[in-house]
Order: sequence, then structure tokens, then C-alpha cells
Amino acid sequence: MSATEFKDGLIKEIPNLRAFAASLSGSMQLADDLVQDTLLKAWGNSEKFEPGTSLRAWLFTILRNTYYSLYRKRGREVQDSEGTYAERMATHGNQESHLDLADFRKALAKLPEEQREVLIMVGATGLSYEETAEICGVAIGTIKSRVNRARTKLAELLSIGSLDDLGPDRKSAAAMQRVGSEIVGL
Amino acid sequence: MSDAGTAMDDAEGGGAHDNELMLDPKVQESIGRSLKAHYDDIVNSPVPDKFLVLLAQLEATEHRAVGASSDERN
Repeated sequence: MSATEFKDGLIKEIPNLRAFAASLSGSMQLADDLVQDTLLKAWGNSEKFEPGTSLRAWLFTILRNTYYSLYRKRGREVQDSEGTYAERMATHGNQESHLDLADFRKALAKLPEEQREVLIMVGATGLSYEETAEICGVAIGTIKSRVNRARTKLAELLSIGSLDDLGPDRKSAAAMQRVGSEIVGL
Repeated sequence: MSDAGTAMDDAEGGGAHDNELMLDPKVQESIGRSLKAHYDDIVNSPVPDKFLVLLAQLEATEHRAVGASSDERN
């Protein structure tokens, strides 16, 4: 792989690296520092990347290791002093049909790191359970159980499950579901 | 309590049984959509120029290094 091809590959992954880094660190500023470190390390170790394998998974591994070795403590300090990015970041787009994005981010930031990272990787990045397990260095079963715990915890934090929180157009569906499960319960 | 993260890690160890309960599919779906909305919002936001500048510099340095080493050989 030529330097230019490798560079183009890195450029394509920057948006995903930023989103993953922000999800991990809870700060957009830290996320960008983390992405910069990741790009430098990736460039310096480009010979270790095996062409044909997932560049995203390789980069996420570097980013994650960098986060846990250098940034985790800083992340907590930044969150303590400035609040999480969830409280500051302007959001755009139409949020009408789902949970309020800012509320969701606050809840996401409250998850234990090991749950948050896998939920993001599996639920948003397009990485498989296998790739996620490899990145985190744990078994697939562990990833599945962390994802389940993360979802349950999020639902709890967001108090969803109560009818009003899913929006008026979904109330009836949720009510049906609830009635359904009560009947099953009998 | 200053270290909420640790407290939660500890709490997570208990209640494993409760955590294995399957969520309502509607709730799962709602969380899934919010997760994508959160992530894609950042993915779709503009990439700071500094990253492109950095990579262009790295590439230029590499080209110079390659050029220099072939000069040495000649």
C-alpha cells in the first residue's frame, strides 16, 4: 500500500474516529486530540497494518489504547470542570422522531466506559461483534453481555418503558405491547 | 462522591440477573436509533482542517525521505 493510499484511507476514517473518540472521552476537544494522536501513531506504524483487513478496526484499536493509557484521567477532569460535550454541543437535524439527542448523550456519558464503548462499536460504527471483541481483547460473549447491560442501563437512565417517553405516535404501540405482556403474565 | 465511574463499575457487578432481562423491542429500537443519531451527528459534522494538514505534512515528509534515500543510492 502506497503512502498516498494509506493517507486516503486514514482521511476516510477521520469522521468515525472523531465520533468514537467523543463517545469515549465525552469531550469534543479531547476527541480531536485523541484523533490526532491516533493518526500520528497509525502513520508511524503503517507497516503493521495488514491490507485487506479492516482499517477502521485497526484504527479503533489504536485510538482505544491511547485513550485508556493517556486520556482517561484527563477526560474525567474535563467533564468535572466543563460538563460533558453533551451539555454544550449544538445539535442539528430533525430529532422529532426519537429521544432528545442531548438527553441521550447525558445518559450515554453515565454508562461505565466498558459498556459505553461496546454499545457504540456494535450499535453505531458498523463494526461486528467479532471485531469489537478483538478490539477490546475479550470474548464475544462478554461483548454481548456488556451490550445488553448497556441497553438496560440506558433505558433505566432515560426512564423509557414508561408510555409518555416514546412520543405520542408510539403510545398506542407501547400500550399494546404492555397489554400483551400483561396477558402473557396472566 | 467524585468518582462516579468507579462507583458504577462496582454497581455493575451486582444485579447481573436483572441485566439479562430482555428489553422491550420498542425500547431497544428507540435506543438503537438514538445511538445512531448521536454517532452520525458527529460523523456528519465538518472535519477540522488540521487533520488534513497533518496528513499532508506526514506524506510530504515521507516523499522527501524516499527522495533523499534514492539520491543517496545514485
